[in-house]
Formats: sequence, structure tokens, C-alpha cells
Amino acid sequence: MAGPPSAPEVAALSDVGADAAGRVDTRADGLSAIFAPRSVAVLGVTPTPGTVPYDIFYNILSSGYQGTVFPVAPGKQSICAVRAYRYVLDIEGPVDLAVVVFPADVVERALEQCGRKGIRGAIVISAGFREVGAKGQAREERLKALCRQYGIAMIGPNCLGVINTDPAVRLNASFARKMPAAGRIAFLSQSGALCTAVLDYAREKQIGFSKFVSFGNKADVTEIELFEYLRHDPQTGVILLYLEEIRDGRRLIEAAQQVTRGEHPKPILAIKAGRTPQGADAAASHTGSLAGQDAICEAVFREAGILRVASIEEMFNAAVLYANQPLPAGNRLAIVTNAGGPGVMATDAAIRVGLRVPRLADASMARLRAALPAAANVKNPVDVIGDARADRYTAALEAVLDDPNVDQVLVILTPQSMTDIEAIAEGVCRIHRQAGKALACSFMGAADVGRGIRLLQEAGIPHYILPEWACEAMARVQTIRQWRGQPVGDTDRLPVDFAAARAILEEAPPGYLDEDRALAVLAAYGLPVPPHRLCSGPEEAVAFAEAHGYPAVLRVVSPQILHKSEVKGVALGLADAGMVRGAFQRMRHYVSAAVPRAEIRGLLVRRMIPAGHELILGAKRDPAFGPTVMFGLGGIYVELFEDVTFGLAPLGRATAARMLRQVRAGRLLEGLRGAPRADIENIQDCLVRLGQLAADFPRIVELDVNPLIAGPAEVGNAVADVRIRLAPQNASSQNPETEQSHGQE
Amino acid sequence: MDKSEVYRRVVGVVCRVLSVNEGLVEPDNHFVFDLGAESTQSIQLVAAFEAEFGIEIDEEAALGVQTVGAAADFIAAQLRMEDDG
Repeated sequence: MAGPPSAPEVAALSDVGADAAGRVDTRADGLSAIFAPRSVAVLGVTPTPGTVPYDIFYNILSSGYQGTVFPVAPGKQSICAVRAYRYVLDIEGPVDLAVVVFPADVVERALEQCGRKGIRGAIVISAGFREVGAKGQAREERLKALCRQYGIAMIGPNCLGVINTDPAVRLNASFARKMPAAGRIAFLSQSGALCTAVLDYAREKQIGFSKFVSFGNKADVTEIELFEYLRHDPQTGVILLYLEEIRDGRRLIEAAQQVTRGEHPKPILAIKAGRTPQGADAAASHTGSLAGQDAICEAVFREAGILRVASIEEMFNAAVLYANQPLPAGNRLAIVTNAGGPGVMATDAAIRVGLRVPRLADASMARLRAALPAAANVKNPVDVIGDARADRYTAALEAVLDDPNVDQVLVILTPQSMTDIEAIAEGVCRIHRQAGKALACSFMGAADVGRGIRLLQEAGIPHYILPEWACEAMARVQTIRQWRGQPVGDTDRLPVDFAAARAILEEAPPGYLDEDRALAVLAAYGLPVPPHRLCSGPEEAVAFAEAHGYPAVLRVVSPQILHKSEVKGVALGLADAGMVRGAFQRMRHYVSAAVPRAEIRGLLVRRMIPAGHELILGAKRDPAFGPTVMFGLGGIYVELFEDVTFGLAPLGRATAARMLRQVRAGRLLEGLRGAPRADIENIQDCLVRLGQLAADFPRIVELDVNPLIAGPAEVGNAVADVRIRLAPQNASSQNPETEQSHGQE
Repeated sequence: MDKSEVYRRVVGVVCRVLSVNEGLVEPDNHFVFDLGAESTQSIQLVAAFEAEFGIEIDEEAALGVQTVGAAADFIAAQLRMEDDG
């Protein structure tokens, strides 16, 4: 048996998940057993170095684990001079955590014994489950059932393991080669192989971690529960997530909002790799083709305060800055450099990513003039000149850090023959300790600046090979700061004619709803549907047009015809009764010829909508995120610009307003270059109503209002075309929660 | 060869290859879960059984044999087939 005989002081075991009455939540208890166990059994250890089962046991033993570790190694007396057990049930006394490294086909037996032993946490390293097909999936289901039966919280299977650097625990229950340094960053990854690469990368850059979790197939514990655990973890200041698959987007977003807001907010930076394959039929509507899960992810992550990044480098660039530096009060950056070119490049980069490079206060410039040679530039960016040694850097850095117009500082160094790199680094480290403002460095180069960089990193000063990367990281930290001032996603419920919509949606067959019925659904939910009539003969259409005015529009309505213009099923700009009459007859003829089997229910007549901005408003039920709403520039611009954004439904006016600001089209609506302003409030209202409709009726798979024509505010908005696609009828055709609460107009 | 003799010799091979004490071995013992066989030792076991009994074991069929008793049954059946043949 290894380790000291006494149990470690493990705050997490007592602090996390206990309610006011002192009852311990069993799930939180399980997670505490995983991260801060007083004792660990490794099941399936073998005596062969270089194998996963041996290395995991050895890593726990050699990482300075503060608890007790038991190898379960059938047939062996001892492993690494530690007494071995044949079965976990043979261990005298309690065990908090089981690390299972047996081959897949016996993991179930091992976990069953863990349950009988009363073990609350398990990490199943073994592969050979869901990732290998049906047989593995069945095995994984059996593990899940055992977890439920015995109340075990399980990480994995098919993972690298878990590391906790907390000095009170020091657990490396993984087959990563080395225990990382302690730090404030928690890293969670669905990919085990990526973890080893990240650990290696982090060691080189002297990045420390609070927790390191490879959660593999996430059969039991998912990233959602890990968020909830880390929210309370005092060692964690920022969470990094690598995710390949989202199963419950709603809960993920809710959990993330708790982490990124709340009393002690912690940012989450995420790489979401891979895309969920969309059904081929989804491409029939614009919302379907644009609303791939990836695009939805982008938008809803932003709402949840999750910063989405594209690479590991980007992720750590921002995380290290956030984790090790004070949160800047604003976006004003001062640059101190010994080279003009990199200073200019950094200034350009800073402005490009939304930082400001402000004029320094007069007093600061006077201090700089006194300390620097006449040739130096005392304006921001401050150029201390190529021959600067540590004294000039120190003076300049102190002056800009004291400047009230500066929130953060970037120090750039290029190695010249007289540059005393290490002395400059030491000066930066010394000043940084009392600075109280965020500081980052870019010592450009590799070999000559290496020792200086190491000094900076040891002092927790973020270093970037390129100044542009430093600016990007600073901009991301600004995004985190701004997010905290933003209201949480709101929900408004507006009065609608729920019963009228339900009557149509309950009766309709699966597939696309006929246009007149789709318009009736939108009208019931209060969208601006212009007056129209489904006519069976030309005289009826003429009478309607005479009553409502010209020019008129005719549109064929047939369940068999989705793309109307392809069969000449749309006629626009009909200026008088004669044109309406003629177009009516021609359309019936053309459409019948083009689609002989088409059942023409009639031709829909309405007055033509005056020109305006063409917008797209959509709704889509996503497999992971549920009902979502889309907004963007519509008509022919949909494909051209893909200038769209998404929100989770139902949503409120504040969220709708944010969606309008997120797309470039939003500025058009404000009235560019003297153009009239659109009725923006009504567009927001439409988004809220569509979200309500999508949430109320799970049968709605996709919905496109394309275009909604946004005229000047005094004219208003009008639905010009709509498509609603319905799923087959089943018990969940409407949301039971809203059935009782819907409003009536 | 009688079945109990096959079992006794199977146990001998298992103890030798896996370095386990004979007193620990039971017929329903799983090679991995109860006796701690590593993946490479499964191949060594098959080779040792072939040498002990002078038979050739189909590797794919052997994959399904996971306990000591099942190994004894498998080998006994193969010996019978060879006698009959």
C-alpha cells in the first residue's frame, strides 16, 4: 500500500454539493470521489511497464498522490512493491475511486464489483465501447445501467483519465507521461489523444492546470456535470473544452451560463469540432441548409458566454492571459517596443480586433521624455529605440502602467546586439508584480530570446511569439469582460391565437404545409401577414384585387408544388382586373401541364408588397439544441452572404435585439445614408413570436419566412413567402407546458 | 484422454504461463478478470496448450474461450475429434 496512512484534507469532498441541511448530493459526491479521492483502486493493473494498465498505476504512485492507492492485479502479489489484490472486494476499508483499465469485455464485471464495494466514482480508461459499433454500444449501455444501479459517477469509457494538481490531492489517474504544473486552467476534452498533445504543449510553455479531464465517450459524466463541478472548484479560474459531439445542447448552455455568469464567473473557451450530418431533405429550405449544428453552435455558445476558438493555440493564448493577469477595465492598450515596424504591426492588429491604442496622458509623455533619448517616440506605441537596454524598458513600462488612459500593456522586444534580453525580462517581471494591470509580452525570435521568454513564463506573464497573437488574446479577454455586462438570455411570451394555430398544425399531414395554411399559422401568432385569399376562379381573384388594390400577385397553392416559380406558379405586378384574369387562366394551364398530377387547391391572391429590405426569419428544431430561431438578410442574399445568426427558442425581445445587431444586415435596418429606418421593434417582435411558435409546436421541423419585407417604419413589415415543414404526427405535436399558458389576442 | 486429466494439465499450463498459484485456479476463472492474463499472454497460452496436448488450435475459435473450464472443454473436444478422425 502506498502513500501516507492518513486521508488528505480534501475540501471538495465536504464542500461540493452539500445543501443547507448538510445532505450531500450523491452526484456531487461521485464527482468529488473522482477528483479528490481519499483512496484509489486501479483495477486491471499488470506488471509490464509501458502498458496502459501499468503506467496508470505508476503515474498515481509517482505523482505525489496524497491518498492511498491499491492495485487490483489478479494473480500478482504486488505491483511496484505495493501489495496487490485479486478483486476490489478484497480491499479492506473503503475506496473512493476506481480506475478501471481491464480490457473492455471484463469492465462490466469490474464495475459491478465496484458498485458492491460502495465505490462512488469511477474512471473507465478502457476502449472498445460505443466507438467500435453495436457490440461496444451494448457494453456501454450495460455500464450506464450499473452506474445508475449503484450510484456511481463514471468518467469514460475510452479516455485518457483525470488529473488533479491540487496540492491536497495531486492525482494523476491518467496515462499522460507527466503530471502538469498546478495552475488555474481546467481542461476538458472528449479526445484523449489531444490531451497528451496539449499536456506536452503546455509543459513547454509552462502552463499549469487545476484539473485535466479526458471524458471520452461520456457515457455517464458529461461536460455538463463537469461544468457544474468546476463552477465550485476554487482552484479553477478558466475552463477550456474540446468537444466533438453535443447531445443535450439546452442543458449545456444552461450549465455554461451558470459558470460564465454567477457570483464568481469563470470564462469557458471551447473548440467544437465536427458537424452533425444533416438530413438531405433539410436542404429544401434555407433555414435547413444554413442551420447546420455548427452555425447554431456558434450563435448559442456566444449567448451562453462560451468563447468559441478554432485552435489549441488560440485557446491557450487567451486562457493564459485571463488566468494569470488582472481583468482589464477596458480595451485601451499601450505598446512599448524597441522596434518601429513591430510596433506599427501591433497597433494595426490591436485596432483590427477592437482594442484601442489611446493617446497617453500628458504627464506620462513628460515622464517618458525625461527617461528616453530624444529620438524615442513617447506617443503610443512607445518606441524606446533599438539600442534600448533594461533601464529604458523599465522606465517606459512604469510610465504607461501608471497612465490612467491605459488598461493593459504589451511589451515588444526584438533582439539586437546590445539588447540585454534577460535583464529586460527580469525588469518586466519585477514591475509586473506591483502593476495591477494586465501585461503581455512578445519577445520576437526564438533562440536568442528563449531564456528571456522562460523568465517571463515562470513569472506568469503571458508571452506570444507574434504581437498580433497578443492583441487577439487581449481582444478575447475583452469579449469575456463585455459578456459579463450583458443580460442573460430572456424569454417573452406574447399573446397569440394558439388554438387557431393548433387547429391547422394538428390536422396537417407531414411535409410542407400549403401556403394559405402556413400564412394562417403565422397570422395566428401575430406576424404581419398581408390580406390574401385562396381563390378557385378568376372572378373571385379580381374581386379581391379590386377591393385591396393593385398591383396584385397570384401564387399557386398545391401540396405537390413546393417551388412555385419553377412551374410558372407565381405572377407579379398584375396592374388591373384584366391582367389578374389573364394570369389566373394562364397559371392554371401552365401548372397543370408542368405537374399533371398536381392537385391545385386554388390561386392565392394578394396585393403586391412594396419594395423594402428582404429579410429571412426562420425556425428549426435542432437535434441537440431543440427549437432555434434564425435571422438574417433574405431573398437572393441568403446564399450570397449567409449573413445569418441564431438564437434558442423561445426568446425575449432583448435576445432578438442582440440577434439583429449580430448580422451586418442589422445596420441596413437602422437606415444607412439617409434611408428610412425600418420598423425594427416589429422585426424583433416577429422573432419572439416565431420562437414562441417553434417552441409551442415540436411538429414544426423547419420554418422559413423568406422574405419578410421590411419597409420604412411608417409602411411596416410584411410576410411575402413562408414555408413550414412538419414532422409526422405523434403525441408530442405540441408542447404540453405551453398548452395551458398561451395567450389569446 | 479423460476430461479430468485434460483439466489438470490445462491448470498446469495456466499456472506456468500466467505465473499464478495453482490453489487460486477454479474452473470458472476468467483468464483476464480472475487470473490477470495480459493480452500477449493469451497468445502464449494458446501456444502452450498446443505444445502440451500436441494439437493445433484455431486462433479465432480460441478467442471465444475465456475461462479455464471452457479451455479444458475446448481442448477435450478437439482431442476427441482427432481420435475420431
